[in-house]
Amino acid sequence: MDGLEGSGSAPLAVRCRGVWKTYGSGEESVHALRGVDLEVCSGELMMLVGPSGCGKTTLISIIAGILDQDRGEVVVHGADVKALKGRAKALHRGRTTGFVFQQYNLLPALTAAENAAVPLLVLGEKRKLAVQRAEAMLERVGLADRARSLPSQLSGGQQQRVAIARALVHAPRLVVCDEPTSALDQDTGRRVMELLREVAVAPGRALVIVTHDSRTYHFADRIARMNDGAIVGVDAPSAASR
Amino acid sequence: MIGIALKMLLGDRLKYIALVAGLAFAALLVTQQSSIFAGYTLRTGSWIRDTGAADLWVMDPQLVFTEDNKPMLERALYQVRGVDGVEWAVPMYKGWLNLRLPDGTRVTTRLIGLDDASLVGGPPEMVSGRLEDLRRDRAVIVHADQVGDGLLLKRGLDGEGPRPLRVGDTVGVRDHGLEVVGTFRSSPEFFWDPLVYTTYSRALQVAPPDRRMTGYVLARCRSGEDPAVVALRIEQRTGLEARTPKEFEDATMSYVLDKTGILVNFGFTILLGFVVGVLAAGQTFYMFVLDNLRHYAALKAMGASDALLARMVFVQLCVVSLVGYGIGAGGAALTGVFAEGTGLAFQMPWQVPLVGLLAILVCASLAGGVALWRVLRVDPALVFKS
Repeated sequence: MDGLEGSGSAPLAVRCRGVWKTYGSGEESVHALRGVDLEVCSGELMMLVGPSGCGKTTLISIIAGILDQDRGEVVVHGADVKALKGRAKALHRGRTTGFVFQQYNLLPALTAAENAAVPLLVLGEKRKLAVQRAEAMLERVGLADRARSLPSQLSGGQQQRVAIARALVHAPRLVVCDEPTSALDQDTGRRVMELLREVAVAPGRALVIVTHDSRTYHFADRIARMNDGAIVGVDAPSAASR
Repeated sequence: MIGIALKMLLGDRLKYIALVAGLAFAALLVTQQSSIFAGYTLRTGSWIRDTGAADLWVMDPQLVFTEDNKPMLERALYQVRGVDGVEWAVPMYKGWLNLRLPDGTRVTTRLIGLDDASLVGGPPEMVSGRLEDLRRDRAVIVHADQVGDGLLLKRGLDGEGPRPLRVGDTVGVRDHGLEVVGTFRSSPEFFWDPLVYTTYSRALQVAPPDRRMTGYVLARCRSGEDPAVVALRIEQRTGLEARTPKEFEDATMSYVLDKTGILVNFGFTILLGFVVGVLAAGQTFYMFVLDNLRHYAALKAMGASDALLARMVFVQLCVVSLVGYGIGAGGAALTGVFAEGTGLAFQMPWQVPLVGLLAILVCASLAGGVALWRVLRVDPALVFKS
């Protein structure tokens, strides 16, 4: 299908070939993905858009390595994610992937800096060093003065910026974002997308963002439109907005 | 990550307090009831421990515990004295007799008759008078803590009202007048009939005559002799039962536990404390885990292994267990301090806190096991569900 292949000469970060995923069995089975093909290049911001239940979240979960496909191949930065098992898979996720969630998922008892440091701590970094790196990342997302604040003391936009700092603190080569602006008002959502564009997009790193929010489409390099478990087109932002 | 686990735990103040309170209550109940149980069981052997001079207690083979009454023929004393390895042996009378107090109040007492010459086997502490005063004519000594209780003159004399039995008072046993010449104090006992001491010969005079009057023969082994070996010789030579104080104490304790149901009663209370602890802590910890399931899922998505998550849950459980145990066991120990002098049987040997700690750790493990299972089963894809 036109546009499913990587857009340029940049190395491929994600390659999905004939990916199928079915939930349940027998007559009650639901095909969440039906032979999805997709490529995302390093340095690219790819948006996955489409109606609810079309398989966006399933696809992003498989790309992130937290769900296994039934059939097909998913290669992320050269690694066949499904072939990895247990501890190796967890380690792969920890090292290569950053997450931004719709509901932020910040630990309420930790400060912004501690929350942002979590991926480093999971990887075994010393606490002091991890928090220092997290504070530096908070400075990049404009929250240097709120490093000691608890999530409950931050606005929704600030919390999402902490989540972005957390997703980037360990310099992952893939960042997956699930509806990062849907819990935010229009202005805050726009600022979060600007921030993602500014600090997350980097050479050697791919961003895959699932979104419903058509007002943010213009931040993407390419937009993959999904429907009923399949990718029905990959366009430039201007085409998708029409 | 251990720090994060602790912050997660302490951050939810209400659940943390509920968890600690549940485990503290279980620890309090388990440790306190175990201590009272230990206190009661240890008290069954108080009289044996207080009669500390003998290496061996020789008795009728059918006698099963201290409050059993199966006297022997007097020749038992001479038989024991003739056994190789015995340095000395003395007779002891023990019988249950009605004591008539000066005002006519009648009390069933345990009359102990000590060897006239040596007075071996007497109480550990005299409060008034001397043990040697027992050699005076018609002399008895009574327990200082029982003169105003079990030996209270309920009617009093000449309208003076109830009063304690005093030194100088005359008491009667089967129409024999005996004079109180002193008071003693001994360790608190499980058994309740007042103890009255006199000499062996006087005990035989006042007790109902029988061919068998010697309750026990107390024997001391020669230096270097193994009491267990001497006991075997005594049993082989005399056909009597010879026990070390520890063996006699254990036999008494076993008999009381077996016949009174005290073990079942305390065991049930301890089990109840344990179950309450498991349920309270289990439910609260499970709720805590459920509330944090999204966070565990997020950690898992971010690369935390099952082993790391298990370590976090383990640390959280250890902290609440140890804090809960500390508060509960500390509370139980305070019960013992405050109960001192009230008559409550409370003993906390080192085994009790250890058993309490093990019980709480098992309790927390059971409570945490279900929660841990839930954490390990959590689907990291949960983080993508709003």
